[in-house]
Amino acid sequence: METADLTHHISRRFNEDLERVRSKVLAMGGFVEQQIHKAISALIEGDSALGESVALGDHTVNNMEVSIDEECSRILATRAPAAGDLRVIVAIIKTITDLERIGDEGEKIGYIASRLASMERPVDKYREIKHLGRIVTAMVHDALDAFARMDAESALRIARQDRLVDEEYEAIQRQSITFMMEDPRTIRRALDVMWVVRSLERIGDHAKNISEYVIYMVYGKDVRHTSLDDVERELRREIPVSGTQGSAP
Amino acid sequence: MQPAARIWGFAAVRLLATVALGLIGGALAHYPWAGVACALAAYLTWQLVLLGRVDWWLHHRSVAEPPETGGVWGRVISQIVRLHRRKRFHKQRFVQLMRQLRLSTAALPNGVVILDAQREIVWFNRMAGRLLGLRPAVDLGLRVENLLREPQFARYLQKGDYSNPVVIRRSSPQQTFLSLQLVPYGDGEQLLLATDVSRQVRLEAVRRDFVANASHELRSPLTVISGYLETLSQDPALDAELVGPIGEMRRQAERMTSIIHDLLELSRLEETDEWVRGEPLDVAALMAVLRKDVLARPVHPREVRVQVDSDAALLGKESEIHSAFANLVDNAAKYTPPEGSVQMRWWVDADGGHFSVSDTGIGIPPEHIPRLTERFYRVDPGRSRSTGGSGLGLAIVKHVLQRHEADLEIQSAPGKGSAFTCHFPPQRVSRESETLVGE
Repeated sequence: METADLTHHISRRFNEDLERVRSKVLAMGGFVEQQIHKAISALIEGDSALGESVALGDHTVNNMEVSIDEECSRILATRAPAAGDLRVIVAIIKTITDLERIGDEGEKIGYIASRLASMERPVDKYREIKHLGRIVTAMVHDALDAFARMDAESALRIARQDRLVDEEYEAIQRQSITFMMEDPRTIRRALDVMWVVRSLERIGDHAKNISEYVIYMVYGKDVRHTSLDDVERELRREIPVSGTQGSAP
Repeated sequence: MQPAARIWGFAAVRLLATVALGLIGGALAHYPWAGVACALAAYLTWQLVLLGRVDWWLHHRSVAEPPETGGVWGRVISQIVRLHRRKRFHKQRFVQLMRQLRLSTAALPNGVVILDAQREIVWFNRMAGRLLGLRPAVDLGLRVENLLREPQFARYLQKGDYSNPVVIRRSSPQQTFLSLQLVPYGDGEQLLLATDVSRQVRLEAVRRDFVANASHELRSPLTVISGYLETLSQDPALDAELVGPIGEMRRQAERMTSIIHDLLELSRLEETDEWVRGEPLDVAALMAVLRKDVLARPVHPREVRVQVDSDAALLGKESEIHSAFANLVDNAAKYTPPEGSVQMRWWVDADGGHFSVSDTGIGIPPEHIPRLTERFYRVDPGRSRSTGGSGLGLAIVKHVLQRHEADLEIQSAPGKGSAFTCHFPPQRVSRESETLVGE
């Protein structure tokens, strides 16, 4: 049994190759998820050792990206996939780039967390960051779930959540500015906090990108830079017609 | 039902009677063979009609009554009815059993997922759906590691040793700790059992924090007490009868300090069970330091030998490895009489790196060996009091080794001595000697 979109293959080996590389992408995703979670808890709990371990763990993410990239090139060269399979490979190559960027943002947060750990903690104990962090980690998690399930419906829902993240980002920015004006001594910390919030917002963007690749992988529609309502209308029309698989090679 | 022989006999008689009737009728009309042919044709037509009725009944079996044909056809019909009834009975019993099985597994408080040889999801119960966030029907056929992406689980699968469960943290939809265990069965199929252990994990954290905080809080008053005792014991004006008790108090205070030190160390080690990253360590240099420490003891074994069979470096955290090895060497020195000997050895082979400490001391009875690494476990209560151990040394060794993916092997015979060996996997050994220079 394979996922609906990966059926009909002449060669069973090809199928296994695809499944394996998909599993590797998701394993990389799992590692990245853990990195973000650790980075955020390092910041909130003021744990400098944890923050540092996140920053040092980033090279694992990079290694995973390189290895998956190589495998994808090998599949492209030896199997010359077409249609749906080609889309899967293309989507994987794009997804790992975004995952790697998420890992970089996690690394940044880890660094800042280990620096902030030695500073006085704010009264609200980074509540806003905690909240934004929760939204963003859930987005990454759900985007990867959608990738595993080839679930374009969920992917669309996740892409929509990005607006929520942007709103939160705005709110925290305004709040930080207020703090800085009230008490200039907090400026240094507030600036660091802004970097973290910025990173979280970027992670949200990357999660959105991953969901868009899922839609591309399933329906063959490039939905980047289009309004999500248009996309939804388009997909509603598409679903009964093309079903699950694009045209066969 | 009538016996088969009678029914078949009756059918044969009827066929013969038909043929005879045809023959007689044909003979009367001067065409005897035509008569027989007509009779047979009539007989055959009648049988076909009966067969048609049976066929119609078989097709509409669920609604129609079986035709009343009697004779051979009646017997065939009653056989079919009986077979059908038996099949329906078995099917019902099977369906009932299935339903009960499904209901009982669905009601299980633990999550159960059935996986095939490729670890693709075949079936899961309601609790597994809730705990692991699986969607009924949609997630069938997906690889389980694609949905459970936690690196700890990936490592568990990669290791392939399913004898113990692995605990993972799930953050969505809410934070839970799950204990997962794979149970292989049948032909490569696997059962994944999931239990929510959030409560246990939280309790464990509370316990750990308590031990750490209590030890920390005890440290300062103890420092004051030790300080005064030290001053007192060195006071020349001290009454002669107080010298003994004060000395004993000082020794006990020292022992308490070392217990608290070990407790803090242990709780720090327990904080995370993640593997530590490796930095190359010069084992030979470490062993030389340990040897000097033993020889600096007021009472020490006569001979302390160091054998270095490899210049490969060990990848680990220096402070932790030092603490673990020092505990092993300390134990050996403590339980070996002055005329005995202690030997340290470091060697590397295909299985990885090995560090062993062997002595010719008093040894450990075999029944105690499995429990040695428990906290405060005493082989015999009188023994360690005199040597002033904290009772935590081997627990620390065990934790440090766990964090370095290593195992502890203990061999001992009472009266002959003991050997403690740490086995490090090959990836923890660095054969490049130039990395040593930088450290």
